[in-house]
Amino acid sequence: MRAILAFAAVVAVVPLLVSSNVALNFLVFTMIIALAAQGWNLLGGYGGQYSFGHAAFFGTGAYLTAILQVRFGLNSYPAFAAGIALAALVGLAIGSLAFRSGLKGSYFALVTLAFAEVFRVLANAAQVTGGAAGILIRLQQDPANFQFAERGTFLWVAGTMVTLALMATLALERSRLGAQLVAVRENEAAAQALGVDVLAVKLRTITLSAAMTGAAGGLYAQYFLYLDANIAYGTWISVEALLAPIVGGAGTVFGPVLGAVLLHAIAEATRMIAGRIPGIDLVAFGIVLILVVRFPPRDIPGLLRRWRR
Amino acid sequence: MTGFRMGRRGLALASAGVLAAPGLARAQAPVVKLGILQPVTGALSQDGEYGRLGAELAINEINAGGGIRALGGARIETVFGDARSNPEGGVAEVEKMQAEGVLAVVGGFASPICLAASQAASRYELPYVVDVGVSDQIVSRGLTNTFRFGPGFGVVTQTALDNLVALNDAAGKPSRTVVIVHEDGLFGSGMARLLNAELPKRGFEVLETLAHPTPARDMNNVALRIRALRPDLVIPSSYYAEFVLLSRTMQQQRIRPKGVYCILNGAASNYRFVREFPDAANLVMDCNHWPDPRKPKTAELRRAVEAQNRFWLYNVPLNYSAMMLVADALERAGRADRAALTTALAATDGAFTKHIMPYGPTRFVNGQNQAGAPVNTQVQGGDIKVIFPRDFADAQPVYPVTG
Repeated sequence: MRAILAFAAVVAVVPLLVSSNVALNFLVFTMIIALAAQGWNLLGGYGGQYSFGHAAFFGTGAYLTAILQVRFGLNSYPAFAAGIALAALVGLAIGSLAFRSGLKGSYFALVTLAFAEVFRVLANAAQVTGGAAGILIRLQQDPANFQFAERGTFLWVAGTMVTLALMATLALERSRLGAQLVAVRENEAAAQALGVDVLAVKLRTITLSAAMTGAAGGLYAQYFLYLDANIAYGTWISVEALLAPIVGGAGTVFGPVLGAVLLHAIAEATRMIAGRIPGIDLVAFGIVLILVVRFPPRDIPGLLRRWRR
Repeated sequence: MTGFRMGRRGLALASAGVLAAPGLARAQAPVVKLGILQPVTGALSQDGEYGRLGAELAINEINAGGGIRALGGARIETVFGDARSNPEGGVAEVEKMQAEGVLAVVGGFASPICLAASQAASRYELPYVVDVGVSDQIVSRGLTNTFRFGPGFGVVTQTALDNLVALNDAAGKPSRTVVIVHEDGLFGSGMARLLNAELPKRGFEVLETLAHPTPARDMNNVALRIRALRPDLVIPSSYYAEFVLLSRTMQQQRIRPKGVYCILNGAASNYRFVREFPDAANLVMDCNHWPDPRKPKTAELRRAVEAQNRFWLYNVPLNYSAMMLVADALERAGRADRAALTTALAATDGAFTKHIMPYGPTRFVNGQNQAGAPVNTQVQGGDIKVIFPRDFADAQPVYPVTG
């Protein structure tokens, strides 16, 4: 809990100390990714249900936030809340279909990927999403519209959302549901034999997970004010959402934040040092990934523990 | 761990300091910084590289010609940003350019990048000149900092349909049936919907609309379907690789419609396609951005590009012209000031002649150049010729294709 409060304090202070919009923009984007990744971490890290399709939730949160404002003239805040709610509902629906059918491991991963792709194709064809031309939220910088003139203010909002996600994760970790979830991850049959309602545990988790990732989608929509099917439901966000926890430590409270900050910081630093070579940041990104996967225990906290020994 | 990260950050800052030092030393001479934003990594890297080339050729020419005279011969210094083929990348680079103190940004290429980047630039009242991005939303948001020299989607498709009817009528209406082939992504689906609505109004019957993914590895099914339907015309909306694959497959299967008529196609106005697959490319028509063949500068620029062993793609003339537009506006603004530059850009008129696009006198309304227009091209004998508009076409259309 102390670490979470320290994180919140740092996020609160950064916009006061840092005036560079380059740095603030970088941090806002990293926070959005960290929030999406925190959602993945609940289901994948704690629950062991590896999803390749968290874009389905990210995109739903993002699109509903945008559509309710643009097409129905709703205020941004209730639109954002509705986006989170619909993402949670989509999570519950996909979870019901997949888990009731007993899909696990790579089959579950493939089904989630398929759902995200179906959503992408539908969003690309539908009128309400703006189809291929995408949907644009009107630029009206006013806190009442969830748009802020200062990037620092948005960092506060995104940081607060990540802090709430961290608290929720910690609460989950310490709760009965969290213990049952870890039991399911470690040995589903044994957990079931001990009386854990496996399906209910998985469904609650995927709903919560989808809500978090959906919130990240809503934040993305409010920050960049433009969406199309490839942004909202593209594989990029599914990959970002799972890479950060895997690198930072899946199934830990701070893993996704650590992973997101580290991966993006390394990419940015590489660009600063050798920015004239296009793609050099992606090379650095790849090298870090190879190193983390090559040398078990395969995450940053694991590597730290090894170094300390 | 913290120590390691601090060390890296320190190293980055130190490196930035070292890199910035020569800039400080040079600051004595008058310098104007302009940003070039292009996606040079990721899916759009080919277009980004060529866009960058066009902008840089313009800057080299301006600097070699004595810089911006109204600013005491100020040299243009480029601040390049890689938009990484996505809107977030574009926004991040605009922030960096703002921190570097650029006077304007040129480029973006894809519509999503242009939309996000120009919006980020509007926070700082930083003039943004779109090079290609055709989405009509770009210039309908009321952003006073955003300008587009080239035509938008609405104008291009309208012109394409009008020219198709003119072409068909002039040849005695040989074509009546159409098959639309489109990629199922960003622009292909939108184009297919529009064509399905508009073609019947103009007397064409759409036999079928065939979608394919990007990337696609095989086009045999699409080609076989076209063969079975036997349309008079095939209208494809696809990116480079998929259109090349489709053309080659149609060639192999000896499918010869009366015309292949593309709109904003990724390959049909691309010399790489013409050079690498001359037979498949032959007689393909396209309605797209294209430089003015009447202007001597066009040929000169093309020679300069080909001397570098690069292909002549429309990104080069579009970015060259956009950069020339900014330089022209700077001359008229008379001071290195964003507000003055924005006013000067908005006031651009027919006196701006240093561009090489086939547009009439420049006139901006809400940031859109009203004279921006596409042209129709056709691949003929290993070259890309302009067939419409007739007043500056350098070849007659070969239509209907026979044999």
